[in-house]
Amino acid sequence: MEYHPQPTAGEARPWAFPAPERGALPNGLTVLRCHRPGQQVVAVEIFLDAPLDAEPEGLDGVATIMARALSEGTDKRSAEEFAAELERCGATLDAHADHPGLRVSLEVPVSRLTKALGLVAEALRAPAFAESEIERLVGNRLDEIPHEQANPARRAAKQLSKELFPATARMSRPRQGTEETVRRIDATAVRAFFDAHVRPSTATAVVVGDLTEVDLDALLAETLGDWSGNAGQARPVPPITADDTGRVVVVDRPGAVQTQLLIGRIGADRHDSVWPAQVLGTYCLGGTLTSRLDRVLREEKGYTYGVRAFGQVLRSTAPGSSSGSTGAAMLAISGSVDTESTGPALDDLWKVLRTLAAEGLTDAERETAVQNLVGVAPLKYETAASVAGTLADQVEQHLPDDYQAKLYARLAETGTVEATAAVVNAFPVDRLVTVLVGDASRIAEPVRALGIGEVTVVSG
Amino acid sequence: MPMGHTATAQAGSGGLTATEHRLANGLRVVLSEDHLTPVAAVCLWYDVGSRHEVEGRTGLAHLFEHLMFQGSGQVKGNGHFELVQGAGGSLNGTTSFERTNYFETMPTHQLELALWLEADRMGSLLAALDEESMENQRDVVKNERRQRYDNVPYGTAFEKLTALAYPEGHPYHHTPIGSMADLDAATLEDAQAFFRTYYAPNNAVLSVVGDIDPEQTLAWIEKYFGSIPSHDGKQPPRDGTLPGIIGEQLREVVKEEVPARALMAAYRLPHDGTRECDAADLALTVLGGGESSRLHNRLVRRDRTAVAAGFGLLRLAGAPSLGWLDVKTSGGVEVPQIEAAVDEELARFAEEGPTPEEMERAQAQLEREWLDRLGTVAGRADELCRYAVLFGDPQLALTAVGRVLDVTADEVKAAARAHLRPDNRAVLVYEPVEPADETDGTDAHEGADK
Repeated sequence: MEYHPQPTAGEARPWAFPAPERGALPNGLTVLRCHRPGQQVVAVEIFLDAPLDAEPEGLDGVATIMARALSEGTDKRSAEEFAAELERCGATLDAHADHPGLRVSLEVPVSRLTKALGLVAEALRAPAFAESEIERLVGNRLDEIPHEQANPARRAAKQLSKELFPATARMSRPRQGTEETVRRIDATAVRAFFDAHVRPSTATAVVVGDLTEVDLDALLAETLGDWSGNAGQARPVPPITADDTGRVVVVDRPGAVQTQLLIGRIGADRHDSVWPAQVLGTYCLGGTLTSRLDRVLREEKGYTYGVRAFGQVLRSTAPGSSSGSTGAAMLAISGSVDTESTGPALDDLWKVLRTLAAEGLTDAERETAVQNLVGVAPLKYETAASVAGTLADQVEQHLPDDYQAKLYARLAETGTVEATAAVVNAFPVDRLVTVLVGDASRIAEPVRALGIGEVTVVSG
Repeated sequence: MPMGHTATAQAGSGGLTATEHRLANGLRVVLSEDHLTPVAAVCLWYDVGSRHEVEGRTGLAHLFEHLMFQGSGQVKGNGHFELVQGAGGSLNGTTSFERTNYFETMPTHQLELALWLEADRMGSLLAALDEESMENQRDVVKNERRQRYDNVPYGTAFEKLTALAYPEGHPYHHTPIGSMADLDAATLEDAQAFFRTYYAPNNAVLSVVGDIDPEQTLAWIEKYFGSIPSHDGKQPPRDGTLPGIIGEQLREVVKEEVPARALMAAYRLPHDGTRECDAADLALTVLGGGESSRLHNRLVRRDRTAVAAGFGLLRLAGAPSLGWLDVKTSGGVEVPQIEAAVDEELARFAEEGPTPEEMERAQAQLEREWLDRLGTVAGRADELCRYAVLFGDPQLALTAVGRVLDVTADEVKAAARAHLRPDNRAVLVYEPVEPADETDGTDAHEGADK
């Protein structure tokens, strides 16, 4: 073939993260709307201020059961009828409970938005919470727990939360409850949690898609506008604390052919001015297969299919709140390596972290990371669902509506020195809690020999 | 013929168009303009998948796909990843039974770079391919296999069921990931020969979709790909045709350390690209798609014998498609109880067919899936390649949803009656064992490979 020199880029077309229009309905529901031409599948995200730490003592999982029960019947429809009507719209509806609150996510072709949003409004206004359906959901949830225990990645996440957070903190325990707590949940408990925490005045709906043919005000008025509730009370938000004393916990899986690694601690959330530098530095460490970790662990040594470093906000509070800044993100490195390579892989991983701390990032690395993180934005936000997801994240983390738009400018301004400092602070070699799900008889000794912290073994 | 309930005036296609071109070396090109967002998707399908692999070399097509990211004539090491990501793009490649695809989504002004990169590896991969890459990616792929299949509960179910559903020696008897032994056995010479055989412009389709100037794009394609010579070394894959139905019930019981009993089954269905396949898709959706399906209502809601129950469809063009049943049991429920309920529901459906409401729901769900797939430039580029490679006409991608909406309830009933029957399935039953019992046989076969 005839070789040609590598082409140079053309002129970039401007693109900005979309600015939503903010408003409110008479019932107090906050509404963010965003018109995205051509996006025929509309995404609606509803954030409910029903955080996990509001669950009553001993009833971990009640928020999850309530979330699931929202689509299991209303005052007008049985559970089966509700599911059928929703699917007749070609819609998908998902509701899940997490530390900041509960998210209800609807996706539906724009032509059937009115019908589908009407169903969601009905679920929020008058959920049936029938005893028989709650019993079924509790049974179903109990059946799911062994499946999660068996999954190495889920098992590792559960163990890391238990290690990091004090036993009294909701964050130390599984988001969807344990066998013991889920078993106690009944229709009365679900109803009580709903009555205490779900109301339009503390909720936000985000609507994104091609809204050209949609009279959204009229549509909202006849659907979510019908939902009513009292004003609710502000709840104190406990600060997040974690014990990141460097140590290793092996969750024993005799015979496992791989070891699942999850190495983490907590750190800054998006309210902290270090966030853009932390994002940049974390990308350079382990954002992709050409980042530092995979360059060694995957592309040089072949120990893994891929190891990633990431920061994921656990919960944030408004900066002006009386409790001060109490938010935090989980900062972690995760992946799996073949059993035999567990010791050598961790040894290399720590070497990568030590070298990073000693020598810092290069300008070229920082430049590539900025180009990628900023450049992929138009691709990443092509669909309505991705835009709605980020806008709702901003809402639940008490961030301004233009946060993401401004983040791109801040990333571009972040220098190599700042990014280095942020990632080295985020992943200090002596303050990392390492969870290994694997065959203890084969991995515990090689890991002890590394001296990365005390090694304990727990049963799988 | 009355159309089903539609969400948009031109359901799915939404006024989309595509143009087709062919270079002198045989490379087929499909272009589709869409200026809503400043991005462009490049997608390249090579007409080679695991069905082309020979005995003793399973997994080679997929291992080779990894080697395509290890540099080429003018691109060093991980340069494909570095250059695309450094330009604000995203990229990957995947391997299936029937094809291997490579794709980049770029900000519009970086489109030319993606075309240059794809042309460089199509034309000059062997200049960079060496033992070191081969050894490294062999280890990476073996770890991919462990992570995705061997180290997760039920992880090898797909492989086991495929091996049951397609007889020994059939090109689809093994899955794209391949076996550990064959991955170990593959040599650099095998990889070089694979490239020389299958990676040629006349064995590929290139699609570019999004915010593009078609004339300029075509000129770049001609410039970068035009001088790559075509060659005709490719052997067609072994014949994948099989009788319409299996004719008996194949069965394997797996005793493994899994969290719950499970009933899985693969039904032999019509080839992709046929009206009968669309009818079968609708039947599976009514029976086991979403939370208002017959199996979900019966097993999860009413009998409460299952944690989850559903059907999926693996569409295949070169062999019968597979209808994929997956039921995980609740608590101490035994598999025969589940199986009797599934058989009862399937028999009743074959007798009655879908209700008008069920048809409407199933068509609405499949329509939305199509809107999702065609709603991004990358999804559209992939579908255009799919229809060009497998069915010879990319335009079929833009009208696919219309064909699904055109299927009648009678056709759905006929598809269920013909295919969703006990003598047309391979069944995989999981019976959990305690860790201590690990030694007493993890792979007991009952009546398999008859």
